[in-house]
Amino acid sequence: MAKRYLILEDGSAYAGEGFGAGATTSGEVIFNLNLLGYQETITDQIYHNQIIIFAQPAIGNVGINHDSYESILPTAKGMVVRDLTNISTNRLSKLSLDEFLRQHNIPGISGIDTRHLIRKLRTAGPMKGSIVDVADAHAFDQLNATVLTNRQVDQVATPKPYPNPDTGKNVVVIDFGLKHGILRQLSERRCNVTVLPWTASAQDVLNLDPDGVLLSTGPGSPLDLGTGVLDMIREVQAEIPLFAIGLGHELFALANGAKLTPLPVEYHGSGHPIRRIITNDILYATQGQGYAVVAKSIDRDRLITTYVDLINGTVQGLRHRDFPAFSVQFFADGAPGPHESRDLFDEFMEAMTSREG
Amino acid sequence: MQSLTNLQKVLIIGSGPTEIGHETELDSATVQILTQFKKHGVRTLVIDNNPFSVALEEIQPTNMYIQAVTTPNVRHILEKDHPDALIATLGGLQGIRIAQELLENGDLGRYGVTLLGMPTSTLRQINNPADLNATLKEIHEPVIEAQVVQTTDEALGLVENIGFPLIVKPVAPRVDTNRTICENVDDMLTALNQGFQQSRFDQCTLERSVVGYKEVEMVAIRDAADTELLISGLENVDPIGIHSGDSIVVTPPQTLTDREYQDLRDATFRIATEFGIIGVLHVSFALNPANQHFYVTKLAPYFTRGVSLAARTVGYPVSLVTGALMLGQRLVDVKLPSQFTKQTAVMEPTSDHVTVRIPLWPFQEVPDADQHLDTAMKAVGSTIGIGRSVEEAMLKSVRSSQFSPRDVLPSVSNLTDGELISQLIHPLANRILVLIEALRRGYSPDELSELTKIDAFYFVKLQHLLTIERQIQEHPRDVEVLQRARYYGFGDGMIARIWDTDTATIRQLSAEAHIQPTYKMIEPTAGEFPEALSGYYSTFEYENESRALGDRTALVLGRGGNQLGPNSAAEYFTTEMLKQLKRAGYHTILMNTNPNAIGIAPEFSDKQYVDPIQLGDVLNVIQVEHPDIVIVPGNRHYLTRELKKLDLNLHVLPPDQETGEPAPKMATIGVSLFVHQQQKVAVGVMDMIAPGMNKALSQVTAFRMPAELPKAKRNNLVEQAKQAVSERQLTGMVQVLFAPKGDTKQLEVVGVRPTRLTEMAFLSKVTGINWVRMLTRQHIQTLDAAELAKITVDINSTRVALMNAAFPFRQLHVLNRPGSTDQEVGATIAFGSSEALTLSNLSDTEELDQIINRTI
Repeated sequence: MAKRYLILEDGSAYAGEGFGAGATTSGEVIFNLNLLGYQETITDQIYHNQIIIFAQPAIGNVGINHDSYESILPTAKGMVVRDLTNISTNRLSKLSLDEFLRQHNIPGISGIDTRHLIRKLRTAGPMKGSIVDVADAHAFDQLNATVLTNRQVDQVATPKPYPNPDTGKNVVVIDFGLKHGILRQLSERRCNVTVLPWTASAQDVLNLDPDGVLLSTGPGSPLDLGTGVLDMIREVQAEIPLFAIGLGHELFALANGAKLTPLPVEYHGSGHPIRRIITNDILYATQGQGYAVVAKSIDRDRLITTYVDLINGTVQGLRHRDFPAFSVQFFADGAPGPHESRDLFDEFMEAMTSREG
Repeated sequence: MQSLTNLQKVLIIGSGPTEIGHETELDSATVQILTQFKKHGVRTLVIDNNPFSVALEEIQPTNMYIQAVTTPNVRHILEKDHPDALIATLGGLQGIRIAQELLENGDLGRYGVTLLGMPTSTLRQINNPADLNATLKEIHEPVIEAQVVQTTDEALGLVENIGFPLIVKPVAPRVDTNRTICENVDDMLTALNQGFQQSRFDQCTLERSVVGYKEVEMVAIRDAADTELLISGLENVDPIGIHSGDSIVVTPPQTLTDREYQDLRDATFRIATEFGIIGVLHVSFALNPANQHFYVTKLAPYFTRGVSLAARTVGYPVSLVTGALMLGQRLVDVKLPSQFTKQTAVMEPTSDHVTVRIPLWPFQEVPDADQHLDTAMKAVGSTIGIGRSVEEAMLKSVRSSQFSPRDVLPSVSNLTDGELISQLIHPLANRILVLIEALRRGYSPDELSELTKIDAFYFVKLQHLLTIERQIQEHPRDVEVLQRARYYGFGDGMIARIWDTDTATIRQLSAEAHIQPTYKMIEPTAGEFPEALSGYYSTFEYENESRALGDRTALVLGRGGNQLGPNSAAEYFTTEMLKQLKRAGYHTILMNTNPNAIGIAPEFSDKQYVDPIQLGDVLNVIQVEHPDIVIVPGNRHYLTRELKKLDLNLHVLPPDQETGEPAPKMATIGVSLFVHQQQKVAVGVMDMIAPGMNKALSQVTAFRMPAELPKAKRNNLVEQAKQAVSERQLTGMVQVLFAPKGDTKQLEVVGVRPTRLTEMAFLSKVTGINWVRMLTRQHIQTLDAAELAKITVDINSTRVALMNAAFPFRQLHVLNRPGSTDQEVGATIAFGSSEALTLSNLSDTEELDQIINRTI
């Protein structure tokens, strides 16, 4: 494999071996601490524009599996790993990771001291980086000149509505860069799903007469999406049970008067204990966030905090006081990561049922 | 610290002697839990008869019951000392069995003793497959349907339904090694006969065989508020059919999808909740790689080697946390030491390295044993390798399994193709070498996976190592190849052998090309937080995290994985030595690869390196730490010789057991002296007992002290011993051997040798003076002759002590008794009056066992 470099905007360069696509790539460099689930991670649209460093050093061991896609057209900018295995031995496996990345034009680099990078980024904060063939002044100039888009949602979310039919509750999913795990959880509960573009108006939603509305996960900053979507949320939550996850949660908070703040370091992992405030019990879930709801900004007449991260104190869940509307920052679909928060989908089902009753 | 429960006195059932199935990991966990209890003012009683127990050194003599770990003896303590609570989870399967018996016969209720760690309803079900499966079925956990049978006829009636291969297991077995895979009716009848005898209820279960499935273990921790977290998953490289203790184990699991892994995590939590576990839970699963279906195969709500490995590899302080949970704390309230940035016990560990554990088998010492690996565990120890790739971790673990003192892997190229195939299908202890040889001969990963049911991933990794090996062969002295070789775990010795040069040349080439080791911390957050833990491993990357510990440092090289011979005694020695070095103001650094070692716990050493104890790796650590003294164990002759060539302050401890004059053929009395400058302190006069007909010195495996001799005679032997020592200019802990002269009863000096490690531990336990510390102080020159002169040992004590070696023969199904010293796996000790410990017939091993295991 070809010698390539990971370069960072602080001027550092790390030599490694290229895999996947041979293209030059630039993006925001972040790290993911999950033990397993590299396929789910690399196909999750929240990583649009980002180059992902994997903490777990051995990547690629189970190839690519048909049932581990979180999107069909991944848009992450790159993968940085310690050690790559180019294999497709799992019985369910169709592809090796290397082939998959080449098909989707995503570069990867292996042989990198990923632990060093994580230790560096945990204090230095977000940084731009590139995977390049030559780490010369030109490459750094290019990197420094790179302006990353803030229109990530537009680039990954569906422009057109599409259905995922079944026989149960009518659920409208607003797609901000939806991960498939959400659809899988709704399918398991026999929901008749219609996915709408994130630009849908409240009227578009209400026209479908849904039993419930789900605001999906997605990439980037919720502050870049304008106020139209917030109006939609406010209107819909007053009429229909609503469940929001990830970026959806951040928008739900904004729509109800809370403020957001960027985290000094994005957190992508599943080791933080999350307290469910009402029961006081602790659960784990995959978290992937660059922003957090400012606890002090929460209007207590409108919202109740339902979950909190015990490690960094961030708000992890909200519930509306007046409407059957609730949200979580973490990924309740558990793909990848722990499953114990999947019962939130049951809660959503109950909200839809009790509305009928 | 918040107030805990009102527990005041707790009894811990100790683990007894090291044997196949458990080694020092239980003692290690006991020490840490004791420390935790002590902090909270809980008085802790321990019953154990393992003379090499470090836990027994940590408690007051009044809290110590040095007795056989049996139900009557435990009951006696409940009756006499009235502990509030009982801990059975530190005594292995035996501890659980004793607690079960105390529960069944009503003793727990009678004496008002609370069982810590699990409810009594759970205690009742462990090791009763039928009960266990019924509960697991209730919570919809997939289990392999087990049918209980009491007669062979019943079994024959069920065969058609279950089909072959099937597995026979005794119900509530007395031993831990007892699942038999049966291919046909004959196999089954044999297994049933044996199983009925091993069962406490004369019952066996029959069940479908899942041979060939993946074996995955999960280690979790739970508190009374039902907070649960996974410490780590362990993947067995070998499939079901080979005991997990005999399998190469990789952690974190490498060939599972996230979904498979999370499904097993979910199941583990459901089980922990259902069974009300407080503390650790170790669950084993059989996972069908074809369809992701799994079965629960074993449930161990107690400390095991799996728990120890899981904790070691992620850096989560399992024992400390379990101790707090047992005292009634909740996980969220447990405050970890300040080395953990967040000081919380509820962060679920993640990992940024790979750990591989390789078992060590006793077949060199017990060649009669059947060396095939199957469902009965045969390994006596293990060793780990940690790295940043599977290759690196794998190769380091193989290099640590002490195939070669010079760090070169042996070859099995002499096998015929037929033998090779046979060994692929029916693996032997040299499993890993056979797998490598098969790849060398051109078998593909897929073919080998088909034959062995090992995931092809591992063959791809081994093949990669062979590719690198070929590059080393083809490019002598090429620094790029050298870089790659070191990066993937090749030792300096291995590379030197291929390039037909010495280690020094390899090291010089590396230094010139700046190919230097970088040490990474073993910590549970994968770099998310700036942890300050003390465990490190090497790799060859960009950033080195390990800084020299500072002034006055001692580097102690451990002995690696447990093997037969004086190993558990050596572990005791090393730990006590570390304590003494610390007391003398040294910062201690331990290098070891035994995941079950006691000394590797942060309580006993300031810094730990988990790296092969091979010349190159040792020199790498020395290069970082610049220790003031280096201590190398006496059994590492090549390493010692090479280190002596360097400018190091080198000490050989534990002392070399093979130095001195040629050993005499036999001896009946041993007189131990501690010799320091002009002082010769008499430590003990003991009977050297070689049970059986052959009285050779190597068969002396039992000791009685004081020796059964008149007082005057003992005193006289001491004088003779001092004389013998003076003539030989020896220092340290010395043993003078006596034997009858010719056919007379007259005893004469027949030899002098360093006191063996087992006897040194025995002497420490009997005299109440820690002779390991004395010896250590002598080496580091903090021993004051005047202080020593004040020590008097009553060599004519009326309290008699007996120590008897334990052997692995029963588990290995060989009839080797009497055994020899190099076959010892552990030992037991007993104290009593001279009458109680009288031996009528010194050749009778049964009598020895009976006396040692007697009810107090």
